[in-house]
Amino acid sequence: MPSALRAEGLTVRFGGNVAVSDVSLALAPGEILGLIGPNGAGKTTLFNALTGYVTPESGRVSLFDRDITRLAPHERARAGCGRTFQTERPFEELTVLENVLVAAFLHEPRRSGAERLARETLEQVGLGDRADQPAGDLNLARRRRLELAKALATRPRVIFLDEVMAGLNPPALREMIAFVSELSRKGLAVLMVEHIMEAIVELSDHVIVMASGAKIAEGAPEAVMRDERVIEAYLGTD
Amino acid sequence: MRTHLLGLAAFVALGLAYPVLFPSALTIAITILLFVGWATAWDVLGGWAGQVSLGHAAFVGLGAYFVAIGVTEYGLAPWWSALLGMAVAAALAFAWGWLTFGLRGPYFTLSTIAFAEILRLVAINEGWLTGGATGVFIMTLPEPFGLDLFDRQTQYWLALGFAVLVIGIVVALSRGRFGYALRAVREDEDAAMAAGIDPKRTKLKAFMLSGALTALGGGLYGIVLSFLEPHVMFYLLLSVQIALTAIIGGRGTIWGPAAGAMVLIGSGEVFRTTFAEANLLIYGVLILVIVLFAPRGLVGEATRRAIRRRYAKRAQS
Amino acid sequence: MLDLAIFIQNLANGLLIGGVYALIGVGLTLVFGVMRTINFAHGDFVVLGMYGAVLFDLVFGFDPYLSLLIALPVAFVVGMVVERAILAPIADAPAESSLLATLGLSLIIGNLLLLTFGGEPRSVQVPYASDTVRIGEVNLSVVLLAAGAATTAMIGALYWFLERTERGRAVRATAENRLGAELVGIDTRRVQSFVFGMGTALAVTAGVTLIPLLFATPTFTGAIFTLKAFVVTVLGGLGRVGAAIGGGLLLGVVEVLGASYFLSEYRDAYGLLAFLLVLLLRPEGLFGKTVKRV
Repeated sequence: MPSALRAEGLTVRFGGNVAVSDVSLALAPGEILGLIGPNGAGKTTLFNALTGYVTPESGRVSLFDRDITRLAPHERARAGCGRTFQTERPFEELTVLENVLVAAFLHEPRRSGAERLARETLEQVGLGDRADQPAGDLNLARRRRLELAKALATRPRVIFLDEVMAGLNPPALREMIAFVSELSRKGLAVLMVEHIMEAIVELSDHVIVMASGAKIAEGAPEAVMRDERVIEAYLGTD
Repeated sequence: MRTHLLGLAAFVALGLAYPVLFPSALTIAITILLFVGWATAWDVLGGWAGQVSLGHAAFVGLGAYFVAIGVTEYGLAPWWSALLGMAVAAALAFAWGWLTFGLRGPYFTLSTIAFAEILRLVAINEGWLTGGATGVFIMTLPEPFGLDLFDRQTQYWLALGFAVLVIGIVVALSRGRFGYALRAVREDEDAAMAAGIDPKRTKLKAFMLSGALTALGGGLYGIVLSFLEPHVMFYLLLSVQIALTAIIGGRGTIWGPAAGAMVLIGSGEVFRTTFAEANLLIYGVLILVIVLFAPRGLVGEATRRAIRRRYAKRAQS
Repeated sequence: MLDLAIFIQNLANGLLIGGVYALIGVGLTLVFGVMRTINFAHGDFVVLGMYGAVLFDLVFGFDPYLSLLIALPVAFVVGMVVERAILAPIADAPAESSLLATLGLSLIIGNLLLLTFGGEPRSVQVPYASDTVRIGEVNLSVVLLAAGAATTAMIGALYWFLERTERGRAVRATAENRLGAELVGIDTRRVQSFVFGMGTALAVTAGVTLIPLLFATPTFTGAIFTLKAFVVTVLGGLGRVGAAIGGGLLLGVVEVLGASYFLSEYRDAYGLLAFLLVLLLRPEGLFGKTVKRV
């Protein structure tokens, strides 16, 4: 099976600090990879290096065997990387539909086609009835779904989800888990950074644990959770 | 979309009726129409793409000087020299944007002031090219289809055409891919990139379009005044006036800049008798009111309210 | 052949006029450092000082420097009031809002001056206008020397205030780290009004020292000074007082030397070009530390 996303030896340095140190990973189509670790472990930086928002010092990233290491974020989006942001960022002055429209125009240059795609995507995430609302007025759970819709409307082949579960109440969390699982069933490769262990255990085919910028464990979710180094990293035994 | 086309039709109808109703007040109408076009063109960059320029007088001056020098020195018909002026304006906008779009926030605005000031100094000092501080007179103009371009009536139609063209372009782009890319870049560049939009390229295109359209109006302005001075054409306060017209009317809205031009130039004319040359006072007062109480501008606040109301009504039913 | 005496003469004139630019720039940079606001009305406050001296001359016929006794406290209070009424309410809005608000203020000041004094250029004739002092080979104008002395005194007082007084420390702390300053109990909103008052007072002082040298016009002169203040502060790096002084002196020298050895018509352009180059190549300013982005 070809890998949808592959990173080899990624290292990111800010000034003198190593934020991500020699991390490699691979992700197949339809697979869900969970990325966990304590705060400051470098998850978001790794995420940003994979999506092009941060330039790595060394290492390479490829998408379906195409080297994308040197590509800017918007070029990676065109190549098939869809992403959400940890602090959700709707275009506040636009309506919900227009927010998704911005992304839908990527592959549907005509208004009619883009609008159809945007409406379909909104239905898919359950925001169909909110299309004409100003995006700035949405509540947290709906903003999350809007983030997802924006990422999905670019027709990604790999989707990067940055803490889409955080702060959701139990019913909303169940819905989101079901939704992400559905995405992978359709063949999308999913990389998710998440603090909600319930979601990680239930969804991930594969988990990577990071601490202080380095990968400290990798494997099936249950096995990783029992790993001593992981427990140590989370509890911080000195 | 339908409402905007209706609005445009109403604007054209008003424009057609005006010379019949007020045949003796064409000069003020020409000024208003030029500002409608300029403010709307400014807004492509300042409102839709969110990059506030205080140097647009540079493009006005460029267009005007191309037309004037073209006709006086080279016998070039104004429509060709206006096209040339637009091309040069777009090229300058490209170069300028390419250099400065890395600068965030106020630095870009500051750089546009310096840019226009330097062009003004060049226009004053390079007398061999521009007639220097004394200026250039346009004495003769060709007569296409027997039209006298010095005639106010003809100039009025040209100004109306200019305003309608610029608004038409904005209506067309407002609902398409480019229009949404502009708004996305204005709101959040990182999020725009996630949607596959290249922020720098998008802003450059906006700057070039904005500059070229402003230069077109500048060429027309040159003909209307038929006397060009660097102090008028590249004047910082003209840049300020164009920007504030759009901002007071409502940035990033289709009709805001046009409404701003009608209200501000119109009232400027009314107050001209009271305040003499101090007519920019009203801009100062209004921009303060807008910033403090209605940051989206006159039309912007109204549309926002309308969108909320429409949504609320639909949600109830 | 470069005549040394003339060169020194030019250099001295450049430094003296640069001192006034520095005074203008320091006010702008101080306000920017504390409030992150680019004050577009700064040059208009300078012009307000010039017209204040003109009015003083018309009414009392005293030397413009004496008008500082009234102008300084009035400017300070006006600045505080402006900050409270206009800038404080929009402190949390995007940076652009305060830029636009001060732009509006600039138009209001300029046009009110126009309505009051008319568009004719105004100046104040002082009896010592053409007196010079000879030092070695160099002749220095008394008016320029007085401006230099006033500038030095004001900047000296400012330094004393910032370094030696409790309130000055509060200003520096707020400029450095607003949140930190608030945590140690500094009322940063009061600091802001205070600093805006100081900025206004510095601008007005510069205006008074300039009136024997230059003509004032209501709307145009203000824009020129605002632009010069931008040039000075960006040359030095926005937000740093010491750097603005360096930037001001540099601008004065660049203008005078550029005008005497190259094309004098482009006197104003040299500063603008330097400004653009610095903006493009080193946005943190010539004297600024290179800040690594994280």
